[in-house]
Amino acid sequence: MPSETSAMQINGITIDDTFAEAFPMKGTRLVVTAHNATWAEHAGRAFTGFATSVIACGCEAAIERTLDGVDTPDGRPGVSILVFSMSGKELAKQVERRVGQCILTCPTTAVYGGLDEGEAIPLGKNLRFFGDGWQISKNFDGTRYWRVPVMDGEFVCEESTRVIKGVGGGNLLLLARDTDAALRASETAVAAIRNVPNVIMPFPGGVVRSGSKVGSKYAALPASTNDAYCPALTPLVRSQLDETTHCVMEIVIDGLSEADVANAMRAGIAAAVALGPASGLQRLSAGNYGGKLGPFHFHLHALSNAGPAS
Amino acid sequence: MSTSIQHWRLTLRTQPALRLDLRALSPTALAGLDAATISGITLHHGNEAVTVGDFFTVAPETDATPEECANAPSLSLTGDLRRVDRIGWQMDGGCLRVIGHAGDYLACGMKSGRLQVDGDARDFVAAELSGGRVQVDGHVGDFAAASLPGSMEGMRGGQLSIAGDAGDRLGDRMRRGTVWVGGRAGDYLASRLVAGTLAIAGEVGAYPAYGMRRGTLLLLGAHAPIASTFVETRHDYRVYWTLLRRHLASAGGRFATLPEALPTRFAGDLAADGQGEVLCTGRVD
Repeated sequence: MPSETSAMQINGITIDDTFAEAFPMKGTRLVVTAHNATWAEHAGRAFTGFATSVIACGCEAAIERTLDGVDTPDGRPGVSILVFSMSGKELAKQVERRVGQCILTCPTTAVYGGLDEGEAIPLGKNLRFFGDGWQISKNFDGTRYWRVPVMDGEFVCEESTRVIKGVGGGNLLLLARDTDAALRASETAVAAIRNVPNVIMPFPGGVVRSGSKVGSKYAALPASTNDAYCPALTPLVRSQLDETTHCVMEIVIDGLSEADVANAMRAGIAAAVALGPASGLQRLSAGNYGGKLGPFHFHLHALSNAGPAS
Repeated sequence: MSTSIQHWRLTLRTQPALRLDLRALSPTALAGLDAATISGITLHHGNEAVTVGDFFTVAPETDATPEECANAPSLSLTGDLRRVDRIGWQMDGGCLRVIGHAGDYLACGMKSGRLQVDGDARDFVAAELSGGRVQVDGHVGDFAAASLPGSMEGMRGGQLSIAGDAGDRLGDRMRRGTVWVGGRAGDYLASRLVAGTLAIAGEVGAYPAYGMRRGTLLLLGAHAPIASTFVETRHDYRVYWTLLRRHLASAGGRFATLPEALPTRFAGDLAADGQGEVLCTGRVD
């Protein structure tokens, strides 16, 4: 069944008159440095593994950007990581576990908090005990660091990181003629969004193909496949697709603020529509729950006109 | 309509015959008072009660205050104040500047604010300092950043920067904070150091870090007398060294251009806890 919503067109691409519905989350930024960029990326990838969705991962995390030595506390290359969770308590648990198993263990790394404001949660505060009494505390200008002796020298970590209120669940749906077209449009939008600061796209490559709806016919499941956007079900359910759309991809965006998510969606829309209809991209849409669950609504038409999110 | 004056200047008019105790004066204590009230504040000269007006001329500050002090109460003391003790005693905020030399117990127990001395200061400078920043452009006497007699902890926070030389027992029982010395330091430097950081640009006297428990002592002199109760460690601590260099660079001078190469690192004092470290860029004796 074709979309029932009114639409606008930009460069031949249909923009649905709908909105992405997002939720408040707790977020923090970590700065991970290492002897070189390769090992910093190893640490960042390990830390952000299995962190695509709070549904089952406990947090959503991804590498925000790579850093050269100019931007890091110790002058070494690194990565900045954004981590989001539904509560400060869960976020603290995830940060501590992941730093302990993925950063502490990675050769030559050090880790620092990347935000100046917010409530402090432990970063190295408890991990220091790995030093078995040989850990050393240093306090520079009000910031406490821990030096933990390890087999390659020292693991240096800041005692705590700051947590602020973020926004999770900004999204774009890219509806296309076929898989190649959907992937190309998604990759293009993801590349554009990566240039926007303070946001991450936590799914593999920034893209999720298993968009979900709330609930399921199975009582135990909190979420299930978004059947309205599954091409396999177009003739079988109350579909949002027409018979020419054979592949849909979703980009999920978490950000440190509502404005950051809006900026990211705006960049993604602009990059995608620039491809034009010849690319096979047909429509842009977004996922929501009728506006009743999440307080942040990102209207595609407003973002497409470079207007503010409402 | 009169406005309350936040910036005062006290000029020493009469050289005290005995030690003059200035613990009653601080930038925040004087802010908003008038000149007559300030002149009537009681001080102690030896064991005799006197007033500020007996020794100082009180006037509003006319010189421009540093930008960082523009919105805070300030107090300038002018003259040869070597017989004036406890300047900035337990000071808690504001800016205090001594244009001249200072006596004993300068910035002792200071909690916050900024204190600068254009000349020298005597013993117990910044003893038990817990916050704020103290800068002495000249030399200081013994027991700077140390504990007061009978106390378990010396300097426990804040920053002390000494452009000249420091006497003996610098940082004795120091617990936290950072001390920079642009010149030399005397005997028993950082003795019984509990924690914190000291960086000495010049040569040091005998027995540095004697009884050190934790903390960092950086020696930039041509040679360092390291006791046999310290052992050299040969591990890669470049991350910490970079953090330390960047922290120390704020004092400027030689500390702004510390080498990237790792100093020789000694752990000790093994006669105490042995969790401290002495970093030496020069020859080790």
